Amino acid sequence: MNLDDIFDLVSYRIHPEAHIVVDHTTCPSCSHRACTFSCPARCYEWSEVRGRVDFAYESCLECGTCLLVCDLGALEWSYPAGGYGVRFRAT
Amino acid sequence: MSGAEFDAIVVGAGPAGSTAALTLAQKGVKTLLLERGEQPGSKNMFGGTLAWCPAPEELIPDFWEQAPWEREVVRRVLTVVAEGSATSMVFRSHDVERPFRGRVTLFRPAFDRWLAEQARAAGATLVCGCMVEGLVIRDGVVCGVRVAGSDGTVEAPLVVAGDGALSFLAREAGLHGGVHAEQVAVGVRALYALDEEDIHERFGLVRGQGATNEFLGGTAGVRGGGFVYTQTDSLSVGVVLHLDSLKARGLAPYDLLETFVDSAHVAPLLRGAQLVEYSAHLLPEAGLSMVPRLSTSGLLVTGDAGGLCYTNGLTQEGMNLAMTSGHAAGLVGATALAAGDLSAGRLRAYDDRLRASFVLRDMKTFDRAIHLLKGDRLFSAYPEVVGAVMGQLYASDGRPKRRIGRMAREALRGRVSLRDLAGDLIRIGRSYL
Repeated sequence: MNLDDIFDLVSYRIHPEAHIVVDHTTCPSCSHRACTFSCPARCYEWSEVRGRVDFAYESCLECGTCLLVCDLGALEWSYPAGGYGVRFRAT
Repeated sequence: MSGAEFDAIVVGAGPAGSTAALTLAQKGVKTLLLERGEQPGSKNMFGGTLAWCPAPEELIPDFWEQAPWEREVVRRVLTVVAEGSATSMVFRSHDVERPFRGRVTLFRPAFDRWLAEQARAAGATLVCGCMVEGLVIRDGVVCGVRVAGSDGTVEAPLVVAGDGALSFLAREAGLHGGVHAEQVAVGVRALYALDEEDIHERFGLVRGQGATNEFLGGTAGVRGGGFVYTQTDSLSVGVVLHLDSLKARGLAPYDLLETFVDSAHVAPLLRGAQLVEYSAHLLPEAGLSMVPRLSTSGLLVTGDAGGLCYTNGLTQEGMNLAMTSGHAAGLVGATALAAGDLSAGRLRAYDDRLRASFVLRDMKTFDRAIHLLKGDRLFSAYPEVVGAVMGQLYASDGRPKRRIGRMAREALRGRVSLRDLAGDLIRIGRSYL
């Protein structure tokens, strides 16, 4: 599944503020970086340059995978504000 | 939202929540149904099946005529995928009962919207775009919800949590300590548009008939499986992957979905089909071990939020459990409200009701099977053994054939030790027999 085109495939109403906040100070001590491969929307990417996980919330599918694979508690996790976020097609 | 007084607040307009709201509204309870999506169903991907259960018809007598389902499942295929081959078992029903007692495929965004509309028509107040971020708990009694943003709080003597697999509200109420990676699977799905006629031809169906195809193996050793479900003029194609196993293997769900979609057993079904949507969702997969106490003072927990969802390897149940739990929550809640007693002791009648119904009884019946599916060999080693044996069984090379037992022993060598095999056979026997 090529996620480069995710915004063509999935409809979103994007909130100006992120609904998930990553505590980047935790990332360097993470041994698995599971968020970078298990997130179905590839919202998390490891940045060698910055030595931390870069996070982009816009394409989030709101599944909760990241919250459950992060065992360091680095995520302040919430669903997007009411009416925002992904909107799956009705037809 | 001030000014309106409610007796019950239902959080989440999915199958569980909307069924609870419909039941409560029919009993004359002033009910508020809150949904965080723009519309009910806009947060739901799923393209699975709804198995028959009594609750929908008890609420809406002509439910099956009215509800927007897609196809009636008459054909179910279970395929074991190995390197270079796929072995299928096909069940085809020729005896379609009326009213039917099987299952239908459906499209959740459309179905959820319709079901929430039924609750609204029965008198419930539906508010969409409303994100509940927590409970109002006073002296250990749940008495309302906190709404994100400027809306503040809404109070009511009864709260019904239908907030999905992450189950934040039940956790806040202290009913469980949080959902863990070992307890859930992530499902990723691609929705493909395909002409009705092509679907009929490829799946051997006529108008209105549906097929489910499930696949074991082919997930690069990650515990889980694949599925292809037929809707009216679309196919739901996806993989469901145990989160702990995915994490341990370091694999990406979209890559495994791509492998599945491109595989020799799925690609021909999708020829000419157009990819129209991609989605992801979590599924509770830990059986009874993750079902918490489902009630406390002022709170009832329904559907996925209560872990009421399972697969035993041969069939998947979720929506029927969700709707039945929503119905039970509505009935128990309405009675408790009428009696003016929302205490934990009184609401325990809801747990008792589910324990007596097929919901928790089926989960108990298949509890060993649910845990059997936590074994890695079932998803990698054994599919290869099946493929190897079937391949040899059907091969012909001019040499004398061997007994199946010998082929199996050879196929097992290097893959499964005799000790593990013996243990697995006992477990499989105890799970299903």
